[in-house]
Amino acid sequence: MTIHTPTRRSVTAGLATAIGALAAPRIGRAQAKSVKIAMIAPMSGPWARQGQLLKMGSDLAMEDINAAGGIKSLGGAKMEIIFADDSATTEKAKNAAQRLVSDHPDLVGGFGCWLSSFTLAVTEVTERASVPWLTLSYSDAITDRGFKFIFQTSPTAANQAAETLPTALKLAESTTGKKPKTIGIIMDNTAAPIAFVKPLKAGGLDKLGLKLTVDQIFTPPLSDATPLVEKVRSAKPDFLLLLTSAMPDCKLVLEKLDEFKLAHGKIPLVSNGAPFGSPELLKTVGADLLDGLLFSVADWPMKGQEAFIERFKKKTGEAFLTQDALCGYGHPEILAAALETAGAADKLKVADAIRKMNLTTGPAAQCFPGPIKFDEKGRRVDVPIIFAQWQKGVPVTVFPADRALAKPMWPTA
Amino acid sequence: MSFSLVDFLQALSAGILVGSAYALMCVGLGIIFGSMRVINFAQGDFLMLGMYAAFYLTTGYGVLAFMGPYAGPIAGAFLAGPIVFAIGWLVHRFIVSRVTGAGAEASAGSGAYGQILVTLGLSLILQNGGLIVFGSTPTAIRTPLSHSSWEIGEILLNRARCVSFVVAVIVAGVVYLFLGHTRRGKGLRAAADNPQAAIYMGIDVDRAHRLAWSLGVGITAVAGGLIASNQSFQPYTGFDFVIVMYAGVVLGGLGSILGAFWGGLLIGIVQQMSTLVFPYQLQNTCIFVVFLLIIFFRPQGMFGRLSERT
Amino acid sequence: MRSPAETRRQRWAIAAVAAAVLVLSFVLKSAYYELILTQVLLWAVLSLGWNVLCGYGGYSSFGHAVFWGLGAYTVALAMIDLDLTPWVSIPCCAIVGAAAGALIGFPTFRLRGHYFGLAMLAYPLAFLYVFQWLGYQELALPMRRDAPVLYMQFEDPRVYVVLALGLMVVALAISLWVENSRFGMALTAIKQNEPAAEAAGINTWKWKMLALMLSGAMSAVAGGLYVVVLLVLTPDTVFGILASAQALILALFGGVGSLWGPVIGAMVLVPLAEGLNAELGNVLPGIQGVVYGVAIIVIILAAPEGVYWRVLDRLGRNKRPASPAAAPRAPVVPLPHPRAAAHGDLLVLKNIGISFGGLRALDEVELAVPEGGLYGIIGPNGAGKTTLFNVVNGFLAPGSGTIEFAGASIAGLRPSLVCRRGIGRTFQVVRAFARMTVLENVIVGAYVGARDDPAARNMALAALDRVGLSDRADAIAGGLTTRELRLMELARALAPQPRLMLLDETLAGLSHDDLDGILGVIRQIRADGTTVLIIEHTMQAMVNLVDHFTVLDHGRLIAEGNPNDVVRDPRVIEAYLGKKWVERVAATAN
Repeated sequence: MTIHTPTRRSVTAGLATAIGALAAPRIGRAQAKSVKIAMIAPMSGPWARQGQLLKMGSDLAMEDINAAGGIKSLGGAKMEIIFADDSATTEKAKNAAQRLVSDHPDLVGGFGCWLSSFTLAVTEVTERASVPWLTLSYSDAITDRGFKFIFQTSPTAANQAAETLPTALKLAESTTGKKPKTIGIIMDNTAAPIAFVKPLKAGGLDKLGLKLTVDQIFTPPLSDATPLVEKVRSAKPDFLLLLTSAMPDCKLVLEKLDEFKLAHGKIPLVSNGAPFGSPELLKTVGADLLDGLLFSVADWPMKGQEAFIERFKKKTGEAFLTQDALCGYGHPEILAAALETAGAADKLKVADAIRKMNLTTGPAAQCFPGPIKFDEKGRRVDVPIIFAQWQKGVPVTVFPADRALAKPMWPTA
Repeated sequence: MSFSLVDFLQALSAGILVGSAYALMCVGLGIIFGSMRVINFAQGDFLMLGMYAAFYLTTGYGVLAFMGPYAGPIAGAFLAGPIVFAIGWLVHRFIVSRVTGAGAEASAGSGAYGQILVTLGLSLILQNGGLIVFGSTPTAIRTPLSHSSWEIGEILLNRARCVSFVVAVIVAGVVYLFLGHTRRGKGLRAAADNPQAAIYMGIDVDRAHRLAWSLGVGITAVAGGLIASNQSFQPYTGFDFVIVMYAGVVLGGLGSILGAFWGGLLIGIVQQMSTLVFPYQLQNTCIFVVFLLIIFFRPQGMFGRLSERT
Repeated sequence: MRSPAETRRQRWAIAAVAAAVLVLSFVLKSAYYELILTQVLLWAVLSLGWNVLCGYGGYSSFGHAVFWGLGAYTVALAMIDLDLTPWVSIPCCAIVGAAAGALIGFPTFRLRGHYFGLAMLAYPLAFLYVFQWLGYQELALPMRRDAPVLYMQFEDPRVYVVLALGLMVVALAISLWVENSRFGMALTAIKQNEPAAEAAGINTWKWKMLALMLSGAMSAVAGGLYVVVLLVLTPDTVFGILASAQALILALFGGVGSLWGPVIGAMVLVPLAEGLNAELGNVLPGIQGVVYGVAIIVIILAAPEGVYWRVLDRLGRNKRPASPAAAPRAPVVPLPHPRAAAHGDLLVLKNIGISFGGLRALDEVELAVPEGGLYGIIGPNGAGKTTLFNVVNGFLAPGSGTIEFAGASIAGLRPSLVCRRGIGRTFQVVRAFARMTVLENVIVGAYVGARDDPAARNMALAALDRVGLSDRADAIAGGLTTRELRLMELARALAPQPRLMLLDETLAGLSHDDLDGILGVIRQIRADGTTVLIIEHTMQAMVNLVDHFTVLDHGRLIAEGNPNDVVRDPRVIEAYLGKKWVERVAATAN
């Protein structure tokens, strides 16, 4: 794991930039021949790690886009990302958004903010400023407000739910010959998991022929998983749906399952969300415990990206590529593609280009499953969900088959 | 909501084990609060420092790596105490002592506010400084103890938590004896009750407070080191524990180390056992409800003394 | 208490600041700056609300976010579920906040000092979990392009500045009113010495509750407007520890307990934090927090009570606005006629007993004090004399026995009510309101017997005259000599013209000359018709002062009667000096 220790050079550089930034005029200097997009992500505060990952991806994107000649339809204009830290509260997120919008009236688009509540706050500003915004967050509220300038690259929670369980069940059936009849759910009460299980509990489970034998919701952060897993031990569902959105909670539940001798395939685990594929989870829990964990996720490195994955690992020192960094790369690429089509550094034209977009090839499309196409609410259309599974200490894409990097398996004891 | 005997005992044991770490943290805070009457908002961040100290001792720089994944984390937790004790010593010497203790008493009332802001500022510095130094990635101490257990019948007792229970009881016990039966310790209590009088008695109040402060953060750091084997943490983790610590200390009663210990333990028990009857999501709300009920019926806390003489 | 001139100046200052903010909002060209300005004003209102209870009343609260959050959720849910316009729901927040204050105050005011503050921490966090459980993790106010004004969704950010400014002006006006009223004096007294305030007749519970309710109302209204500005609401944003801490930090930084402190704090710290975020956030994530923390520490070390007070100190101004020295003295209030001796005794204690754990502090104590009498209670250390006073006064409830004052039972009444019935009290360790002037100290005592503030002032002046301390009326109590302090306490207890005075070791620590002076005052008090019950240690002074002695030892009555007889009573001598002395005295006598 790379520990982010500041070298003397980086601290001096930091201080120099700080002094320089303070001395610079408030309004962003209009650089000749460059087009600006915004990135708002948590760079400090409890979610700083996710912001860091997003930035790793976006740094690579800038490299690639500008090395390939910038935006050709704008005469080779270089793309520039203006960062802002939304830190730890919605107030700071809104301030960051307002600052960017006020200081840089020439922004043509932006992406971020990882936490769905921050995305909500930021997009209130960007919508009113008509700045098109891309996000990987997927709580229902984001695209339910009737906004015209928000584009969500992740499928909605309902979509994800509708695909996750059937795929898992099919896999189980094809591997073991038996279809699971009972399911247990352990989840936290943040917006995304709540949105995920809503359709399931409203009849979705019945349609799949699944009986809910464990139904536990906790408020993060979890202090101890004993009472949760105790319920699993008594009910022994055929498989467990784990919807914990923070890595520390994942660790507690997984280790407790092991402690209660329910791990290693005893009770197959299906999850949803990128935290289940993070390198830090591997570091804290160990490959052994994770083996076979299947999780659905909006975006994950797929077939055709092998070279990119290697390049990323070499450049950043990260153990593997995850959703955050991938979207950090993909979102600017989408904006670049929109700019190419729009032919002008005009946010309204860029937004229009995104609305009309239907990308199946190119660096942007490479990063996401399915065509990049949005409906009038800003939701992706016809998107297959991706499944990844931990195999030998690496979470690899296993569905859909044409983008998979490995074959899926259903864990058995 | 129905639950079986096994569920009940399992939750109770989890509560006691989790509560033991809380208890130790509360003892640390209780020493500071009891001796110095200072509300230390940075206590959670010293807890975090303890976690990182234990982590780096056991893994990063491998000092204790040779002790293996079983003994290493325990030793790491113990050693986190003196390290954070030293940091606390410096912090008190240069910053905190200016707004607390005998000096502050003299400027009646003003010291209290200064303390609060200074410790709030300290908290910001530790959290954000922690981000700069340690990075943002959540991390934890790996030990097989955290996902294995001893079995008593059908009840599973997490090994890592049992170990931290034992360590917590030992450390708390030692502290209790120190404060009650040594001269230094008694000096601390005198300085708490009446700094002016203590000065006249030849007790160096400033020194006593420094000892109390450093001891308090050091002990909380040991609790952090113990937790680090079970839960993963990042520089802002301290927040999550601040309220637990304060609830425990208030519950236990002013000036009572024993009270702080039991207060923390009780909170752990309530937190885990409330899930038997109430929705899991309201775990922590139950803590507060119990907290408020107890202070309503017994404002001085479980072991506290009734307030001032008239 | 301010003079009318001072109050007028403050009103002008409020108007001036409001005007300056308006001008500023027109000058600023960026929506971002307007947003920050709006936030400055809203946080200032939260902090002003906090200040009412905590700055003036001295009860630190670390949980004011509970009101802020309840206000925010009221407005958000009203808009989302009931389609109610914020123009209606924001004022309703005042009711929500006040009700929450009342409900919270009931259990929490049982705690004192820091404990109160910490218990307050629990409320917002409890609500945080409840709201998450209820499914309100993320609330977004619906965009209402169809009726923007009705739903407070303005295109022009300056409108929000004006609204927030309006709230701040109201909050400042309320704070000013509190400062100048009896409310404020009561809070100040409570802050400086709650038991003394209670004994002086101030119903501390009532004033604290009112302060909390007012504080809650102000904070909730601010929270209501806050959510309208922010548009997105999560439990963590409004109920989190950061929000409570912010209310505190701003007030403490700016100047706790002052009118302008919270405003100064907001105007400096909110832009500072945001500026640090903006400039340093991307450079080295986390550095902005470190710088902010360092800034707070450095400034607080330099100005522990906040910027405002420090600046005032530097400018050489008194912390308390001084009453103008040339204020005309009110005509001295004529004393009531020496009361005719009542039938029966004024104060009757029968079979009083009280235990603390295993210790029997008072046991079967009997006492009967006639109207107009000057009675003494003596006994060695630890005999239970002060405990007896505490029982009479209402600080302790007797375990057994009865207490009758002027024919009515007063056992179990709270001290302020006992005071209201006509019993005044001084304390063993003088409990002065150290930061107030002598006159203000005495006025606090006069409230209980005065119809209005001017009457209280007159009664205070009269009381000071009676004890001979008129020349020190404007001195700050903290700087008085022991003799002057004791006289001041006497005056404070005398001001409402009580029928009975309980004096607890008033003569302790006085030099010979001072002693004579105070004895004279006490005699005059009795001569004027007030019954006096005095605890003393030193026999000498008392023997010639009082009509009657009651002697306590180990909580029991061991002798009573004529002073000269009691002094020779062997039981009394034994109690003070021990058996050996008694034998020696007996031996020498023979």
